[in-house]
Amino acid sequence: MDKNRTYYPPKLADRFLEFYCLPELLEQIQGDAYEIFYMDLEGKGLAYARWRYIFHVFSFFKWRNIGLSKFMNQKSTNGAMIKSYFKIGWRNILKQKGTTFISVFGLSCAVGCCIVAYLFIANIWFKGLNQPHKDEIYQLVYSAEEAEGMVTYGTVAEPIAELIPDNLNQVKNQTQVLLEFPLLIQNNESFYQRSLYVDPSYMEMFEYRMDFGYPGALNESDQVILTKQLSEKLFGDMHPIGQELALVVNGEERLYKVGGVLADLKDMDMFTFDLLVNLESHPNIKPDIPLKDTWSRELWTFIQVEGEADLARIDSELAEFTQIQNQVNPDKPYAKMGLIPYPEIIYNVGKIQRGVRDFLGIGPQILLGTIGLFILLLAVFNYINLSVLMASKRLKEIGVRKVIGSKRGQLIFQFLSENLLICFFAIFLGCLMAGFIFLPGFNEIASKNLQIDLLRDKNIWIFLGGMLLAITLISGLYPATYLSSFKPISILKGNQKIGSKSGFTSVLLSFQFTLAIISMVAGIAFVQTNYINAQRDWGYSSDDKIIVNVPESKDYIPLKNKLSALSSVVEVSGSQDYVGSWIREKEVFLGDDKYEVNFLTAEANYPEMMDLELKQGRMFNPELITDTQESILVNQTFLDQVGLDFPFEQEVSIDSVDFRVVGVVDDFHTTFFSNSIEPMVIRASPDTTFNYLTLRMNPGSAEGSMESVKKIWHETVPRGFFDGKLQTEVFEREIADVNGITRLILFSATLSVILALLGLFGLVSLNMAAHIKDYCIRKVFGANVGDLSKKLLKRYVIIWGAAAVVGTVVSSFLISTFLDSFFAFHSGVGIVPIGSALLVLFGLIIGTVASQIWKVIKANPAVILKSE
Amino acid sequence: MKGYHLGELEELVLLIVGILNQEAYGVSVVEEIKGQTGRKVNISAIHTVLNRLEEKGLLTSAMGGATEERGGRRKRLFSLSASGRAAINEVKEVRNRLYDQLPPLALDFSHG
Repeated sequence: MDKNRTYYPPKLADRFLEFYCLPELLEQIQGDAYEIFYMDLEGKGLAYARWRYIFHVFSFFKWRNIGLSKFMNQKSTNGAMIKSYFKIGWRNILKQKGTTFISVFGLSCAVGCCIVAYLFIANIWFKGLNQPHKDEIYQLVYSAEEAEGMVTYGTVAEPIAELIPDNLNQVKNQTQVLLEFPLLIQNNESFYQRSLYVDPSYMEMFEYRMDFGYPGALNESDQVILTKQLSEKLFGDMHPIGQELALVVNGEERLYKVGGVLADLKDMDMFTFDLLVNLESHPNIKPDIPLKDTWSRELWTFIQVEGEADLARIDSELAEFTQIQNQVNPDKPYAKMGLIPYPEIIYNVGKIQRGVRDFLGIGPQILLGTIGLFILLLAVFNYINLSVLMASKRLKEIGVRKVIGSKRGQLIFQFLSENLLICFFAIFLGCLMAGFIFLPGFNEIASKNLQIDLLRDKNIWIFLGGMLLAITLISGLYPATYLSSFKPISILKGNQKIGSKSGFTSVLLSFQFTLAIISMVAGIAFVQTNYINAQRDWGYSSDDKIIVNVPESKDYIPLKNKLSALSSVVEVSGSQDYVGSWIREKEVFLGDDKYEVNFLTAEANYPEMMDLELKQGRMFNPELITDTQESILVNQTFLDQVGLDFPFEQEVSIDSVDFRVVGVVDDFHTTFFSNSIEPMVIRASPDTTFNYLTLRMNPGSAEGSMESVKKIWHETVPRGFFDGKLQTEVFEREIADVNGITRLILFSATLSVILALLGLFGLVSLNMAAHIKDYCIRKVFGANVGDLSKKLLKRYVIIWGAAAVVGTVVSSFLISTFLDSFFAFHSGVGIVPIGSALLVLFGLIIGTVASQIWKVIKANPAVILKSE
Repeated sequence: MKGYHLGELEELVLLIVGILNQEAYGVSVVEEIKGQTGRKVNISAIHTVLNRLEEKGLLTSAMGGATEERGGRRKRLFSLSASGRAAINEVKEVRNRLYDQLPPLALDFSHG
C-alpha cells in the first residue's frame, strides 16, 4: 500500500469536487472517491484509476450534492457591504463639501493636465497605430557604408518597387510614398502643401475614413484626395468632390480633380500630409529616362505581407535586389536591404536617415510630462493632507467600528472606497476640463489637433483606468492605513491625537511649496527672458524693410526693376539668404585651419542697407568691382573665433579662392535667440540673380506698401507663392512659439500655486477649526492679534523656509537647464524670479493665515467656549 | 395500510446495510452488492440512496473510521434503524404473501 501513496487522484478533478460539493457531504464523498481510486490503482493501474476518479467526480455533480448556493449567499452579503461602504463614503463626501471641493477640484485639474500631457505624448508614440493592417506592413530600408560608418536609409531606389511583385513572395500589396511640397493653385490663390505621391494601393494598405468620395479615387491618375482641413481651407462649405486644382512640381503644372476628402485625421496618422496624389502623375516619374537615373532616385516603399509570411524568406529575397541595385548603380552600393515593421518605425527614429519620421521632440514631452506630474503631485498631496485631517472628525466612527468587530482591512476598504468615489468624480471632471478648457487652449498654443477620442481610442481608456487606480491607491493608501491603525480604546477615551502636526503633513506641505516655487520661478524666468529678448538689439535696423522671395531666377530682373520703380522704395538689394532666416553654412580656410561659418552672399549694398553696424574697416563699395572679387566682411564672432585682430593680412580661402577681410561688423541675430550667434562671412556676390529681394522703404511706409508690393509681385510672377514679409516680422513664428510655451508655463505655475494655496487653506482652516477654543481662551486672557498670528503662522513660515531653500537650489539648477534648452540668450535664473516667487508664496501664506486669524478676531469667545 | 414505498435499489441497499452491520458505508455497500449479486452500481447512486434512506428514517449514520487510503477522511457509517428493520420485514412479508398467491405450476397449461 505504501507505494500507492506516491500517486494521487487528478488534482483538477479533486479541486472541482471541493469547489462544488456541499461542505457537510464533502468528507464522505471525497473519502469514498479516494478509496475507490486506490482500489482501482491496485487492480487496474493508474490511468484507469484516474479516469474513474474523474468519472466519479462528475457523477457526484448532482443537485443535492452541489453547494454553490454558499457562494451566492456570500456574494450577496459582500455586495451589501460594498454598497454600504459607498453609501457611507457618499454621505461623508456630502458632509464635507468644502474640503471635497478642494480635493476634487485639485485632482480634476491635475487629471486634465495629465490627459493633455498623455495625449501629446501618445500622439507621438501611437501615431499611425490605429491602422488595421499595421502588423502586416513593412517599410523597405537599406544600409550603406558611409564615411561615418554604417547608415540606414528609409528610402530605397525607385525601380525596386517594380521588382517586388515578381520577386517577393507572400506580398499582398505595395506602395511607394513620395513627399513633395508642390505649389497648389486653386482659384487664383496659391499655397505650398505637403503632398504624398502614392500608388493607388496605398488606400488599400492604409485605411482612412472618408468624409466625401471613396478610397479608390486615386485609381484615376488625375484625382487627388484631400484632408478635411485642406478641403475646408480651399472650398469652405462647397461640395469638394469634382472641384479642380493645379499642382506645380519642378515648374510643371498639372490639373487635378478632387476625388475624395478624408475625415479628420486628428493628427493620428503616421504620415503628415495635406493631400494624396497618384504617383504616376508626378512629373519625375517618366518611363523614358536612363535606367541609372531611375535607380538613383529614392523614395519610401512599403509592402504589406500575407498574414503568416516568412520574414526570413523575404529578407533573403531582398538580397537579390541588393545585387541588382549594386550592378546598376555601383557608385552607391547597398550593403544590405531590410524590413522595418510599420509599428516599429517610431522606435527607429534617429537610427534611420530619411525615414518617415525623423523627429521625436523629447523636450516638449518631458516638459508636458513634468507639468502633469507636478500638478498631480500637488493635488494628491492636498488630498492626502486633507483626508487625514478630515478623518479627525470621524475618529469615533473608526473606534466604534473596530469595537463592533470591523477588521482593519474592512476599514481600509471603507476609506479606499471613499477615495475611489472622489477620484472617479475627479477623473470625470478632469476629462471635461481637458476636453473643453485645456485641450482647446493647448491646441492653439501648440498648433496641434489633439482630441479625447473616447469612442475610437482604446488607449485613453487604459490610461484613464490606470489613472483612477493609481490616484486612488497613492492618495488613499497612507490615510487609510494610518487611520485604521488607531487603537479603539484610545480613540474612545479621547486620547488619540490625529496627525495635524505630524511630520508627514509638514513634509508634504513643504514639498508642495517647493513645487509651487519651482513652477513660479520657471514662469517668471520665462517672462523675464521674453521681456529681455523683446528689448534685445538685433544688431541691425529692421525698420522700413520688406523681404520678398524670388521663385525663379528668370523673374529676378523684372521683379527688381518693377519694385524699384515703386515710389516708396528707396533702395533694393538682392541676397541668397536674408538676415532673419537660416543662412547656409560653408567651410572656409584661414591658413590651414578650417572653420564652419554662416556664409551670406548678397549684393554689395546689402550690408549697408541692412544697417549692420560697422566696427572696423569699411563696408563694401558697390562702385568697386574688386570688392565682388576678393573682399569679404566678417562678424565679431568670426574674429573672436579665429583669434586675430583686424586688420590682418592673412587671406580667407573659400572654395579655393582667396578673399581679403575688408571690414568687421558687429554681431547680429540672423536667427532667433534660441540659437547662438555663429561666425559669419558676408560676400558681395558678382551674381546678377538672387533668391530674395530686400526693399528699403521710405520711413514708416513699409507696412502700408505691402499690398502694392504683393500686387506687383503677382503681376510679375503669375504662378508663384508670394512669401513676402516685413523685416520686423522675421522672428514672428519663433516669438509666437516662445509665447505659447510661456503661456503654458505660466498657466501651470498659476495652477500649481492655486493648488498649493487651496491645500494650505484647507490645512489652516481645519487646524483652526480644531483649535478654535484654544485661540479663544488665549484671546480671553488678553492675547492680541500679533500673538495669535505668530502662533498660527510659525509652523507655516518654517515650512516656507525649508521649501525656499530646496526650491531655490532645485529651480536654479533645473530651470536654467530648461532655459538653456530653449534659448541661447536668456536672463538666467537670477534674483528676480526666485525672489519674486518666494515673496508671492510668502504673501499667500500670510494672507491665508490672516483670513483665519480674522475669523478668531471676529468670533465671540463666549459663544464658542460655551458650546460643546 | 401504512406502507414503506421502497424502490428496488433502495430495498437492496437497505438489506446490504443490514448485512454489513456497522460496517456499511458507500464503498463497502458497492462492493457488497457486487459480491452478493454481481451487480455493478455506481458509487454516486449508492450515496444518493443512502442519503435518501436516512432522510426517510430507515437508516441512521455516524462519522467514523478514517483510513489512509481515504486520505485521512472519515467514513459515514450507516446502520439500520428500528423502522428500517420494520420496513425490511414488511417488504419481505408483502413479497411472501404475494408469492404465496401465485397459482401452482400444476395448473400450467403447457403440461396439459
